[in-house]
Amino acid sequence: MTRDGATAETRRDEFAPSASAWLERHALGVLGVATVLVLLVVFYYPVLTVFADAVRVGGAWTLETVAEVLTDPFYFGALAPIFAGEFARFGAVAAETPLGLFGFTAFQALLSTIASVALGLPGAYVLSRYEFPGRRTIRSLTILPFVMPSIMVAIGFVAFFGTNGPLNAVLTSLGLGPVNLLFTLEAIVVAHAFYNAPLVARVTTAAWESVDARMVETARSLGANPWWAFRDVLAPQLLPAILTGALLTFIFTFMSFPIVLALGGFQLATVEVWVYSLVQELEYAEAATLAVAETAVSLALTYAYLRYEAQESGGRTTNPPPRKRLLPESPTLLAGIERVGVVAYAAIVAVVFVGPIASMVAESITGPQGLTLQYYQFLVQRQVEGASFQTKPGVAVQNSLIFGTATLLVALPMGVTVSVLTTRGGRGSRLADAAAMAPLAVSGVVVGLGMLRGLVFGVELFGARLRVTGPVAIVAAHGVAAYPFVVRNVAPLLGGVDRSVVESARALGATRVRALLDVELPLVASGVAAGAAFAFAISIGEFDSTVILATGSSSYTMPVAVERYIGNRTLGPASAMGTVLLAVTSASFVVVDRLGGRWEA
Amino acid sequence: MRRRTLLKHGATAGVLGLAGCIGGDEGGQETTTTAGDTTTEAEATTTEETTQTTTEQSLSGTLKVATYSSFIDAPSTAPGGWLKKEFEKRHPDVTVKYETPDNEVNYYIQRADQNVDIDTDVYVGLNVDHLIRIDEKLGDKKLFTATGDDLPNYGQVKDGLKFDPQNRAVPYDTGYISLVYDESGVDPAPETFQDLLKDQYNGDLIVQNAKTSITGRAFMLWTVNTLGEDQYLDYWKDLKNNGIKILGSWSDAYTAYENGEAPMVVSYSTDQVYANRQDKDLSKHQVGFLNDQGYANPEGMAKFADTDNPELADEFMNFMLSKRAQTKIAQLNVQYPATEWAPLSDEFQKYAKTPENPVTFTYEELQGNLDSWVDSWARQIAGGK
Repeated sequence: MTRDGATAETRRDEFAPSASAWLERHALGVLGVATVLVLLVVFYYPVLTVFADAVRVGGAWTLETVAEVLTDPFYFGALAPIFAGEFARFGAVAAETPLGLFGFTAFQALLSTIASVALGLPGAYVLSRYEFPGRRTIRSLTILPFVMPSIMVAIGFVAFFGTNGPLNAVLTSLGLGPVNLLFTLEAIVVAHAFYNAPLVARVTTAAWESVDARMVETARSLGANPWWAFRDVLAPQLLPAILTGALLTFIFTFMSFPIVLALGGFQLATVEVWVYSLVQELEYAEAATLAVAETAVSLALTYAYLRYEAQESGGRTTNPPPRKRLLPESPTLLAGIERVGVVAYAAIVAVVFVGPIASMVAESITGPQGLTLQYYQFLVQRQVEGASFQTKPGVAVQNSLIFGTATLLVALPMGVTVSVLTTRGGRGSRLADAAAMAPLAVSGVVVGLGMLRGLVFGVELFGARLRVTGPVAIVAAHGVAAYPFVVRNVAPLLGGVDRSVVESARALGATRVRALLDVELPLVASGVAAGAAFAFAISIGEFDSTVILATGSSSYTMPVAVERYIGNRTLGPASAMGTVLLAVTSASFVVVDRLGGRWEA
Repeated sequence: MRRRTLLKHGATAGVLGLAGCIGGDEGGQETTTTAGDTTTEAEATTTEETTQTTTEQSLSGTLKVATYSSFIDAPSTAPGGWLKKEFEKRHPDVTVKYETPDNEVNYYIQRADQNVDIDTDVYVGLNVDHLIRIDEKLGDKKLFTATGDDLPNYGQVKDGLKFDPQNRAVPYDTGYISLVYDESGVDPAPETFQDLLKDQYNGDLIVQNAKTSITGRAFMLWTVNTLGEDQYLDYWKDLKNNGIKILGSWSDAYTAYENGEAPMVVSYSTDQVYANRQDKDLSKHQVGFLNDQGYANPEGMAKFADTDNPELADEFMNFMLSKRAQTKIAQLNVQYPATEWAPLSDEFQKYAKTPENPVTFTYEELQGNLDSWVDSWARQIAGGK
């Protein structure tokens, strides 16, 4: 640190008052302005033009649609008569449609969040507290479900959990009888946990790896038993991360629609399913009203969480406890029970995560006549002989990797900048932080529509039409979608960094950026690495804006190719492409994590 | 040189979509089949055809054709590649360029609505719902222009399939929505809509969401058509109580069906053509017509009102109706031809099924009703109840 500080010092002397020195001093400000500009162009402007549809119908401003939606029991259940001020109707509506579409959506999101946290936390514990061969690789791969296109997850789930699937075969042979798991609320909740438990696990692992174990030791030496030490010392250090995971999970599952459509059935439709249908029918006023209501719920939760996070952060340094071995050094009853729990957890992971993924891969090598490589042959043939207007696997892989890397390079600075700017200051910065989280809180369908109308169609300015499309727009859109993950992984840890360390660096002459790069970021490296992995993952898995912004060009990615290879009456080619996606992204995550890890260590 | 060899290989082996694919990038799309030794070969294979349609050497330029992506990019078979190749062969100075925006015809409705110029010439893949949406959303603004009678081959189109009173959409193929079932799973198979409500079929049928899927919407409209506007919602309430599964897309539904989640699914009456091509057990792909009916769902094409290439667009649409193209589209898109003169292949005669009484709603019958029918249906089904 001292050496780097000195370098900064000499550099400043050499070039002062040169441009680079100016840039270093104002880097945060410049990055902040750039972040705001990107957000305005590829997010706020497009989305607000769609939201305006809620109150602007046929060229006139009106609150009619908003009022209609808010007072419709179909949407708001028992809340509708309250919004309408017709309290007398409350009883009748509460008996008929107590939840409404919004209530049901929130209910399934709550269940999904509970399932995701329950499934994710043990994973975080095992990954951060145990040392075993392949731990780092598994940690890298925890993010894998996150990039799986929903179509692939649906293929895997239908194959694995289906009436004739392997799970039922095992249950039947154990005499537990076939269970009907698909097209139920349970199926949606499990599929949501498939996506979000890894998120909870990854975020919590990052926090667990940067806890201060000396505080636990101090507590123990002062006579606290392990449970008290955990509850009073460790849990408060982990809670912000766990709640971050829970909050993100709730928001995602609240806005979920492809999984609900594919695995739940229309009886279990969510608000977002409705928004999607309305947009398909070009009913913008109603769609926008519902989307604004969704956003209000998500942002309110985000804001509440951020207030909490701000209160929790306090000065500490990173000093994680040593990891345990899978085979305990001194066999005690407690250690034994814990290991049995780990094994049981591994079995659940095998069912929920490995099962569907393996089934999807199995689908790619199974034809009507048994084992076959014909679907991979199709991929090769399409690559070699495909017409220019057709989707080629090689191009898709290449695009995905380029966009993923570029997104990482855009989202990391954006995310760190926002983290730094919002972890300082009071109430105003909470609001700014919530606004910066908005890309997570707005309906994906609405973002897509806004991009189409705002960016692809363009704006008429001074007689010329300004359009934003192509690869640069795709990367910008992916960056905007991804940076909140960097913020949510970095900000809670950054808030916990001991301020006095930073202040002494500044006192010794380091610029704000130097202090950040040399002092703060190394302390929260595990969070930065997790954020980078998420940024890459978001880009690889992103579908909607890629399709919209790539209209008529060859900028399609792997998930787009999977979607296009869904054949008439066969999923073979799609699952073969899905397997390629799986292989490429697995390899990438290990690389991203190793590179991040090198810096971490 | 290598390109030429491959082209020859393509012409002889009949591999689809080979023309102009060798470039391997965007530029590849611009490569047209150049005159020379390749044309002699082409002539040899299409002598019969050239006598039917006059080749207009004068036409030139780029024709932009918009369509849904599986029309050109399906992994099994798709007519797009063949159409492009054949049309470019007839018109050596013409390049066909495909566009497949993700939200299909909505993309162009939205452009027109926002007054953004459209430089596409032809849209392939319209149905009557699209027309109603276009007319409702755009009012006086014209997205497509009437062509019908201008096309010499239009007289061949079966009258029953013409679904646009303004003659903008010209039908090029049609399918019938029907049940597809596994013989061993439903014995006997249901024969009427009322049969489906019987206990023995509890949990046996997978349908698609009428809000988001064409087959799902067609099936729902079929119930309105047969049971009546006043009865269909009650019928669906009963269906729902009988354990019907309503999935998002045809693909979701069909996958679940093939995995044995239920022994019946709403699909197309051409199902056995595919099943046979993939060597599947035909007893698991039986086609059932409820009340001896099937809901007809013709697909049409139309010329954009703002096209700069009206003659070229007409020529392409006329070509789509030619005997040869009609035969080929039916085969590659696995749908029935829309014209009288295209013979059904042996494969179709053997495996594709036609309902005794095809039913469908006309434009006039749907206009003003479609949205409310679909919306009432959706509210009946969803809502977390």
